[in-house]
Parts: sequence; structure tokens; C-alpha cells
Amino acid sequence: MTLSHQAALRVGPLVLAAVLLQVSVVAQVTILGGRANLIPVVVAALALLGGSVAGATAGFAAGLLLDLAMGMSLGGSSLALTGVGYGVGRFGELRDVSHGLLPIAVAAAATAGYDVAYGAITFMLDIGASISALVLRDMLMAILLNAALALPLFALVRRIVRPVVAAGRLEPRRRGRTRESGPLGLRGLDVSGR
Amino acid sequence: MYDRKTIRRRRGVLAVFVVASVALITVWFGEPVTGTLHVLQRGAQEVLSPIQSGASRALKPLRDAIGWTGDTLSAKGDNDRLRAEVGRLRRELATTQTARRDVEQLSGFAEIARADGFPQGTAPVTARVIARSPTVWWSSVQVNKGSSDGLEVDQPVITGDGLAGKVTAVTGGTATVTLITDERSSVSAQVMPAGADGIVRPKVGDPDDLLLDFVEKGGRIKSGQTVVTSGFTASPGLESLFPRGIPVGRVKKVDRSELDIYQTVHIDPFAELKRMDFVQVLTAARPGARAEVPSQ
Repeated sequence: MTLSHQAALRVGPLVLAAVLLQVSVVAQVTILGGRANLIPVVVAALALLGGSVAGATAGFAAGLLLDLAMGMSLGGSSLALTGVGYGVGRFGELRDVSHGLLPIAVAAAATAGYDVAYGAITFMLDIGASISALVLRDMLMAILLNAALALPLFALVRRIVRPVVAAGRLEPRRRGRTRESGPLGLRGLDVSGR
Repeated sequence: MYDRKTIRRRRGVLAVFVVASVALITVWFGEPVTGTLHVLQRGAQEVLSPIQSGASRALKPLRDAIGWTGDTLSAKGDNDRLRAEVGRLRRELATTQTARRDVEQLSGFAEIARADGFPQGTAPVTARVIARSPTVWWSSVQVNKGSSDGLEVDQPVITGDGLAGKVTAVTGGTATVTLITDERSSVSAQVMPAGADGIVRPKVGDPDDLLLDFVEKGGRIKSGQTVVTSGFTASPGLESLFPRGIPVGRVKKVDRSELDIYQTVHIDPFAELKRMDFVQVLTAARPGARAEVPSQ
């Protein structure tokens, strides 16, 4: 996905909607003690479809919007989500991303990456309080809930950005065909097992 | 696979965003609350808050339904008529539970204001929670009242059960409330009736466990005792943001180490920070407005 005006017009509102939906609705729904986080999943989906540059850009924009909307330390979420977007984008550039269940693993990894990175940044900045082990439980629940939401979210993002994504990225990569041996193959040499 | 130009471009974009993020963090922490980025942030909140508020209000039934469904997964219907009946009752129940929960929370404000020792003349403003921080640190929420309703930075915020946090940013129609479970939070408090003073600090990630630090070992503290804000005034220019007498929580257990000078008191907070829908901002809360706490 190139960073064209057309791409920005599709991805910008998508990122804005994801952030607003997250802070206004999803973050207020507690399921089994945890809360889903749409933002890393949407960033990961964009990165997987658009590549590392689009992923880093979407991550930075989503993080900035989140920090602005919630009055959080500006730059913290941007840094964490830029890393997530770039990392998932590079993974997509180097591997075959056509497997149907791949979004689940990618969403789980992106959520874990975001939580760990944001936690590390918070620690480095100003945390002075003791940490409960329940943080790990909350992170684990967020990862599981995001993994459960991955397939529909990836499908939605794919549908929205399809017109601005290079067609090849949406298709399975085919293995190169094995070239058949020519007339000088084993049969041609009349080699027999007997 | 990629030419040098593509690789340079890719790395360049990453570097630009990382440097921009670090620069934002540095400037944001370095500047005062009147600085450019803080002003920009408040402006963005001003623009986004109507959308957040609308989405939050419009999708509240959906949120309630999801929450309620989680609690009643075991319910089964026997036939079509009963299924239809159950469906109708579920909808009614969700609506009733939502209404009852709202009433319970709102009536809690009336009860807490009548409690002995609660500061008087605080001009509380009731607000609805419209957004929550999505991180696992349970750090802040946004409410639908702002400076046009009399809210200002540093005003204490309570639920119907007890102290919730303080206002850290305001726009015309919204305010950001940093909760007492935020890692930067610290509240001067007192165990009643023992009178032992300390500082309430969060245990990050566990909103059901606060720590009262710096409590001298001499104080006789027992499980079940109540912790309230102490609202100290050290000098005319140095006073607590929280007026004396706001309930914070109940003592769960006390850690007494032979090696430490102080004992650490674990507190179960009264406020249900994970599930609060309404809060009250004490817009006229000053230590001078406090009521007498009866000595017991």
C-alpha cells in the first residue's frame, strides 16, 4: 500500500473510528475480567496488508490519537504502536500471509507487543508504584479477547482498504513449480531399479 | 528482494516516527500544563469529546447487554414460546438492571454526603464516565462535564462509595480524571480511629488493593478499620488537594517487617473503579471546607 491520498482517505477514518470506538465503548466492556483493545489489532491488520511503512504510519497515527483523546502522556502509545505496526509489516513482507488463521496469531502477538512495549515505556518514564501480578492476567485476557476478535476485524479492515492495497498482497503466494526432467531424465537414461 | 532505495525509505520512515514519538514524550513531560502540547491535547479532547460522548451513550445498551449476557450464559430455553419469553424478559431485565445500577450509584452520592466526617460545602457536580483509558494500568477516565460546569484541574473526584481520583485536565465540556490507581497517584490519608497517617499509593494493575505507605510502626492498625483522606495543611501555601474526611477504603491487612521503619497497610478501596458509570467532582473542595471528624 503506497501512502497516497486515496489510501489516507480510507485508512485515516478507519484509525480514527477504531480509537474512538475503543475508548468510548470497548474499553468499558469487561469480559471475564479483561478488556479487548481494538487498536493494536487494527494497526496489525493494516500493517499486514500494507507493509512496514504503512504499518508504522498507522501505528504512529493511532497512538497519537489515543494519547490526545485520553490525555495520556503524549508519544508513549505512538512509540509502542509504531513498533507494532513496523514489526507486523516486516513480518508480512517476509512471509506468506495468506493463511486463513494467521490473523489470530498476528493479533495476539501485536497485542502482547503493544502491552509489553507500553508497559516498558511507562516504567522508563515515571512509574514509582509497586506492580501487581494481576497486570499479567489483564494482559493475557486482552490477548485472548483480541485473538477472538481478530478474524472479523482483519476481514473488515481488508474490505475497507482493498482498493488501495496491491493485489498481490491479498493473494496466496504460490510455490514455484518443480520443473519436470527432460528427455535426459532418469527414464531417458534407462536406469531401472531392477 | 528490495532495492536500496526501498530499504532506505522504510528505515527512514521508522526512524522519523520513533524520533517524533520520543520528541513528543520529552517535550510533553518537560513543559508546564500550559505548554503547546498540553494545549493541543486539550483542543483535541474538545473536538473528540462530543463524538466520544455520543458513541458512549448510543452504545450503552449494547455494552450492558454484553455484560449481562456474560453473567447469564447458563440460561436455557425449553421451547419457542419460552425462548421468546426469556428473550423479552432478558431485554426487560437488562434495562431494569441498568436503571437500578444507575440509581444505586446516584443514591450512593446522597449517602456519602450525609456520612459523618464527610467534607461539607464541596459543591459536587455529578458527571457520567464517557471514556476509559484502554491500558491495563487503569489510569484515567473521561467524564462529560468540563470547565463550563465549574470543573478545574486538581479537584477531587468521588464515587458513591469513596474517593476515585482527581481532575487532571479539563476542556469546556469534558474532564480527564486520573484515578487513585494511577502509578503517579498519591493521597495523604489517615486510618480511623487510630489516627495513623500515611500516603495511599496504588498497586499498579490491581485496582482492588491500595497501599498506605509511610505509616509509623507505633500506630495500632487492625483489619476492617476505615481509611479517610487526611487533608493536611502544612502552611498557607502547602495543603492537600483532598479535603479531610473522604472515605478511601477499608484496611485489609498490615505488613509489619522488622527491618522497615514504616509499616505498609493494604487497603480495599470503597470505590468500584472498574465499573463506575457516574462520579462526582467536588468543585469547591478545599481543606478549609472540611467538617469535623468525630473522634472515636
